[in-house]
Amino acid sequence: MAEERPGSWFGFGFCGFGQALGSGRGRQVLSPEPLRVPDAGTDICDIGSLSAAWSYTAIVSSAGRLLLSGSARGAADGCRDAWASETLRAVLRDGPGGPGPGAELQAWAPGAALRGEPLWARPAGPEEAGREDDGAACETRAGPLPLLPGARAHLSPRPPLCRPLCPALRARRLALGAEHALLLDAAGQVLSWGGGRHGQLGHGTLEAEPAPRLLEALQGLRVAAVAAGGWHSVCVGETGDIYVWGWNESGQLALPARGLAEDGQTDAGEAPALKEDGAGLKGPAGPEDAAAAPFIAVQPFPALLDLPLGADAAAASCGSRHTAVVTRTGELYTWGWGKYGQLGHGDTASRDRPRRVQCFVREQLRVTAVSCGPWNTYVRAVEPGRS
Amino acid sequence: MAEDGNRDAPAAGLGALWGALRALLPRTKEELRLDLGESVERSVVLLLQQAADLFYGGRRSECLQTSEVVLDYSWEKLNTGLWQDVDKDWRRVYAFGCLLKAVCLCEAPGDATTVAAALRVCDMGLLMGAAIFDDILIKVAAVLQAHLLPGKRPAHIPAPEQPCLKKARNSHVSIPDLRSERAVPRLRCPSLQHFRKHHLVPQTPVILEGVADHWPCMKKWSLEYIQEVAGCRTVPVEVGSRYTDEEWSQRLMTVSEFIDSYVLNEPRDVGYLAQHQLFDQIPELKQDISIPDYCCLGDGEEEEITINAWFGPPGTVSPLHQDPQQNFLAQVLGRKYIRLYSPQESEAVYPHDTHLLHNTSQVRPCGIAAPRPPAVRRPGTDLCLCRWTWRIPTWRGSPGSPRPRSCPASCARESCCSSPRSTGTTCGPWT
Repeated sequence: MAEERPGSWFGFGFCGFGQALGSGRGRQVLSPEPLRVPDAGTDICDIGSLSAAWSYTAIVSSAGRLLLSGSARGAADGCRDAWASETLRAVLRDGPGGPGPGAELQAWAPGAALRGEPLWARPAGPEEAGREDDGAACETRAGPLPLLPGARAHLSPRPPLCRPLCPALRARRLALGAEHALLLDAAGQVLSWGGGRHGQLGHGTLEAEPAPRLLEALQGLRVAAVAAGGWHSVCVGETGDIYVWGWNESGQLALPARGLAEDGQTDAGEAPALKEDGAGLKGPAGPEDAAAAPFIAVQPFPALLDLPLGADAAAASCGSRHTAVVTRTGELYTWGWGKYGQLGHGDTASRDRPRRVQCFVREQLRVTAVSCGPWNTYVRAVEPGRS
Repeated sequence: MAEDGNRDAPAAGLGALWGALRALLPRTKEELRLDLGESVERSVVLLLQQAADLFYGGRRSECLQTSEVVLDYSWEKLNTGLWQDVDKDWRRVYAFGCLLKAVCLCEAPGDATTVAAALRVCDMGLLMGAAIFDDILIKVAAVLQAHLLPGKRPAHIPAPEQPCLKKARNSHVSIPDLRSERAVPRLRCPSLQHFRKHHLVPQTPVILEGVADHWPCMKKWSLEYIQEVAGCRTVPVEVGSRYTDEEWSQRLMTVSEFIDSYVLNEPRDVGYLAQHQLFDQIPELKQDISIPDYCCLGDGEEEEITINAWFGPPGTVSPLHQDPQQNFLAQVLGRKYIRLYSPQESEAVYPHDTHLLHNTSQVRPCGIAAPRPPAVRRPGTDLCLCRWTWRIPTWRGSPGSPRPRSCPASCARESCCSSPRSTGTTCGPWT
């Protein structure tokens, strides 16, 4: 967040609406390119938060300047956080006296350029979180959007746009998928609710859950981060383990995906890269692989995912149908749907196995953060010796 | 079967194809506009306008790219939530993307493979999209199909070998002995009143003979005929013994591929073209069938009548299940064994308690005495089944039609009764 030393941001994937992504030319960027926001009046290298919707991206600098690029354009000052979705844009703005009491949450219609009146506005100051009596008060107060400060409500792209959360949940982080929600609480437990037809809730069934339900399969594990894709879910444990569950139609769970094998898109033909990653060769199952793992379309409960070379995860983010993970050693691995270059490997192939984004290794940059839009990926990286 | 035909189609032929396709579309880009409601986001509307601009501006490859974006985004909407809750506008957007993509694919000179690819895109629009511009996709499909004459069909490349993880199927098919069981009554062309009074109202199943005798399909349909009329069309096929099994999946393939892989040539897996509204997709086949007069006795409107097709090899078995609607089943080719249980037996058939499978039994009926009479339908007969009767082997999915390509591969599997074999065997090419 704001207290980290500034690094450089990169982007790759879909930019068909001219959203900030490298050169911004063309419809997609296949390899990481330095972020360049068209018409950026100020230096944006110290980005505080970044939120990408399908057709536009909202960037908030640590100085509080909000920049929109893509199908929505505009800029505003005095912003602390922003949340971008196709149907709703939410901005957490400082009050008239600067940061602190008086902060306001504003929701804007997608077409509005931050001028005029927002759709609605409500106070969202730290006084709401002051009633927490445990030491984790600062965590609940700083919950990033779509979790509202105070963690008593969250945003939603569909009406009702602001939904209450039971305070007893002590929500720390919230991630929203196309039809489900993941919640990480103060004790490191994960809860999920919403639609479940693709196994994205992780309770072992395909049934929907109307209210937050604890993921029993993860009990005993202290989770540090959760991420939600369109129909899949990822969590990172405090020890660096990754768990995935949900829909695997494009390999976004890094499990064998039938669709990729039929299109000839497995990694079987790329021996050198695989050796570096430490992953074994595995093409479409042949007659000798009688015991080969079958294709998995849906994984209804969490499965442990091993990154190549036993790397530990530090952070994860999901796009609509792809997944990106940052390791403790500063590497970026991506897998899943790659048609718009959102995996950053320089092509448009989809992958059902984790692959390291070589660009950062080549440039000797340490990746420190990742944030995915539905069809693109934004990455923060620093030179080693800093951060 | 599909053969590698003449690949060097004369330029005049392809020019004629493009001309024919272009003639189906409105002359100006203003007319190629969909009236869309609030649920379609502004950014998508902009994209559709952009796609239309590119098309009428003759910028084919950019139009193709934009159509892909439209297709990918609307595909995500089509896969969000229950199928019956998907806003129809998103399906129209999807169809729009398919239309532009299919037509753009055919603008440049290509070979039969390109035309087949365009036809596949049309079929995707018909399967998952909703009607736009007065059913334009049907017309485009007809033009493309006409261009793909049998001699010009692209070579059919068999699917890559998949490991056979199942035991070889027992090819011996036994014909069940009906003498010990009560048979469903048969009537020959009963009057509407008789049918209503004795079967529709009391909800008792009946076999009607003679009703479909005059339907053209009874004389015309054969594997060769189906190949000729529909061979290059893409349809959803279910692969796996039962839709309650873990290895069950739904795939898209052409009718030719389905016949080659799952009907002829000793297939390894069970493939079933089941519960598909084939006749909406391929109007030529619809001309071969009729709607029985008895359907007018039902509660709903005529528009609510859905016509599905089932097409498969011998030996397909569907799990015991029930339907919320009244049904007529017409057997055109082959024979089918059906066992029925009355709704009063619902508890005894152990329905799954999941939302997806609540109309499906967990048990496989074995040789126990059936409380309701079974039926063997011979070709040319119609079977009327009332609502909520449990029956096998024809199946239906969960409420709401299944989407191609988005099926659960690992349903939570309940325990089944320990019967080694099911008696729901069938024979003949049609089930």
